[in-house]
Amino acid sequence: MTMRLSNQMLSRNTLADLTRVNNELYRTQRKMSSGKEITKPSDDPFGTTRAVTGRRDVEEINQLQRNVDDALSWQGVTEVALSRLTDVVQRARELLVQGASDSNGVAERQSIAKEIDQLIETAKTEANGQYAGRYIFAGTATTTRPYSPGGADAYAGDGGNIVRTIGPGVSIPVNVRGADFLGGDPAVAQPDGLLLTTLRDIATHLRGGTAADNNALRTTDIQAIDRNLDNLTSIRATVGATTNRLETARLRLRELEEASNESLSRIEDADMAKTLTDFSLQQAVYQSALKTGANIVQNSLLDFLR
Amino acid sequence: MTQISTFFGLQQSLRGLLAHQRAIDVTGHNITNANTEGYSRQEAVMAAATPYDIEAGLLVDGGGAMLGGGVDIQAFRRIRDGFLDLQYRAQSLRLGEYSGTASAMSQIEEGLSEPGENGIAAQLDKFWSSWSAVANAPENLATRQNLVEQAKVLAGAITDLDARITTIKAQVSAEYSSITGPTGDIKSMADEIAKLNAAIKFAVADGDQPNDLLDRRDVLLDQLSSYAQVSVTDLGNGAISVNFGDAATPLVNDGTVTWPQTLTAPGGKLGALLQLTAPLVPVPPSTTPGTLESYRADLNAFAKKVADDVNALHNPGGTGTNFFTYGAAGTEAASLAVNVTATGVRYATGAATGANDIAIAIAKLRGSGADQSYQSLVARIGADVRNTLRLEDNAKVLTGAIDDRRQSTSGVSMDEEMSNLVRFQRGYQASARAMSTIDEMLDVLINRAGRVGL
Repeated sequence: MTMRLSNQMLSRNTLADLTRVNNELYRTQRKMSSGKEITKPSDDPFGTTRAVTGRRDVEEINQLQRNVDDALSWQGVTEVALSRLTDVVQRARELLVQGASDSNGVAERQSIAKEIDQLIETAKTEANGQYAGRYIFAGTATTTRPYSPGGADAYAGDGGNIVRTIGPGVSIPVNVRGADFLGGDPAVAQPDGLLLTTLRDIATHLRGGTAADNNALRTTDIQAIDRNLDNLTSIRATVGATTNRLETARLRLRELEEASNESLSRIEDADMAKTLTDFSLQQAVYQSALKTGANIVQNSLLDFLR
Repeated sequence: MTQISTFFGLQQSLRGLLAHQRAIDVTGHNITNANTEGYSRQEAVMAAATPYDIEAGLLVDGGGAMLGGGVDIQAFRRIRDGFLDLQYRAQSLRLGEYSGTASAMSQIEEGLSEPGENGIAAQLDKFWSSWSAVANAPENLATRQNLVEQAKVLAGAITDLDARITTIKAQVSAEYSSITGPTGDIKSMADEIAKLNAAIKFAVADGDQPNDLLDRRDVLLDQLSSYAQVSVTDLGNGAISVNFGDAATPLVNDGTVTWPQTLTAPGGKLGALLQLTAPLVPVPPSTTPGTLESYRADLNAFAKKVADDVNALHNPGGTGTNFFTYGAAGTEAASLAVNVTATGVRYATGAATGANDIAIAIAKLRGSGADQSYQSLVARIGADVRNTLRLEDNAKVLTGAIDDRRQSTSGVSMDEEMSNLVRFQRGYQASARAMSTIDEMLDVLINRAGRVGL
């Protein structure tokens, strides 16, 4: 059946079609100006959840990167302090070897003992090292100075671990406690054979001057200082390993960040080439709809009757 | 042989002239109403006039005949298909419902501002990051200050969204009241239908066909049908009775209007408004919870989840200070508040200044139940809006299609009217010519016959 066409129908349909094409044009235009494929949840409800998750991932990765950077700086400061401490211990070992030699008199040994005392103070100062206002060797008691220079050798920090989250569900301790290498932990029976007691022993033996003292200098003391050097080296190896692990985590996070940004962009961002093509296509459709609409609405038999 | 009046032909032509004049009048009426809403085109129905019955003696064999007496206008017909009206009103009901729902829901969707940098999801992300920042520098009061500020922003965003939904609900209720109120659209349309009923009844009793009044009444019924389910009963005397939604008494019965009445599930726009503002626990016979209240319930569950999850870690034994506080059930989102100051933030189990186990544990909540509960709320609103918009589009297309078919039957086509105009004009001219031919014949008979030799 041929449909009978009325004038109202023609103009209503023409208007409805124009509105529809114009709406599409507007949507495409909005996509272009915002650069976003999804501007509101109803554009793509599933895509919106993925976009929200994607944004969360990116934010989490950025935060993890900040965590890793912080942990790396911490490791850097730790490593510098430990390397200076190693120098201190090596110097102490040189002095010990020198002092143990029988060619030295009482006066020389006294002055070597004085230098050892100075080295003890230096070691304490290094162990009081700070990063961003925090004592790095004091466990979690980061606002407490772990050793008092010129005072007793007791460790004032605690046994806590400073932990940084470097990946989703991955946390690592970043701190080294002073009690582990300088010693003096009140919770451990003294003497603990760690650096401070060892250096104090050496100073005492140097000053003592008896045959037993000299013998101790040559045997137990040198063994003790070597043990401490090993201990320091092993702690530095741990710090190095942690640093490596953090560097790896940093690289991985950077890759993850790129991947997450890319996938977020795939979900959220408009495909410009496609949007532009759509736009010109829709514009052409709109213009021809306008043109034909104008012609159809204008003409009637009235124009031809005289 | 039976004689027929000499002037019979004049009368016949006169009828032709009059009938064509009426037809041209109707065409003119159609043309002038081409753009009148709800107008049905009319047609002057012409039929041969009652013939002049000559019983015997007209024909040669003495038989009778019926002699054509010209043309008469039998009726001014209104061209309309009542079945299409029913279909149109059924679609208009759906369109009213979906567009009513869509406009309120789109507002809520805009309020979410997701996906984006200002939505709750982004604030939640920043909130978890603030906990990480505290974990990285627990000794630093500034990071905790920042955390507390961020927590306040998050709580504020949740409270704002809740307030927005409440405002929209109030607006929807106000719209319902203004439509159904004593001065609202329903009342004024019902009053007009009652008046038209009286006028139509009067005309029908007189034997007239009140086409234009019927059109006007149909337009009102079309408009009513977008608000709620309308069913019309013909009372047989031209008047109608109109049942509206699930109102107990007919809205209009002949000349009586019964309004306002209580509606429960009327369908159409009013049904949509009622569904949007319905309470969370469905009131029988309805089985679905109110849309807006169910969004609020989800938002409350989300606010409670965030607060509970953070509090459980911040205040493990329940003996210390909670990080967030919230009010009674059903107001969690509206009353969500930060309960601590920067110095009161608990970031570690022990007292050590550098410990951060609690901060790390809370930062680990990122992406857990709270995030997911918000995400599913966003997905739910998004899907609802999309679905409603799709249904609205469908209903629009269907309403348009049925209106096209209705227009195809009842609408005025200029081309058709123009050709009719030409047709009737020619008919008028030809009738006039027939009359003047008879006139010339009579002239011969009256003025010239019997004058031979004068």
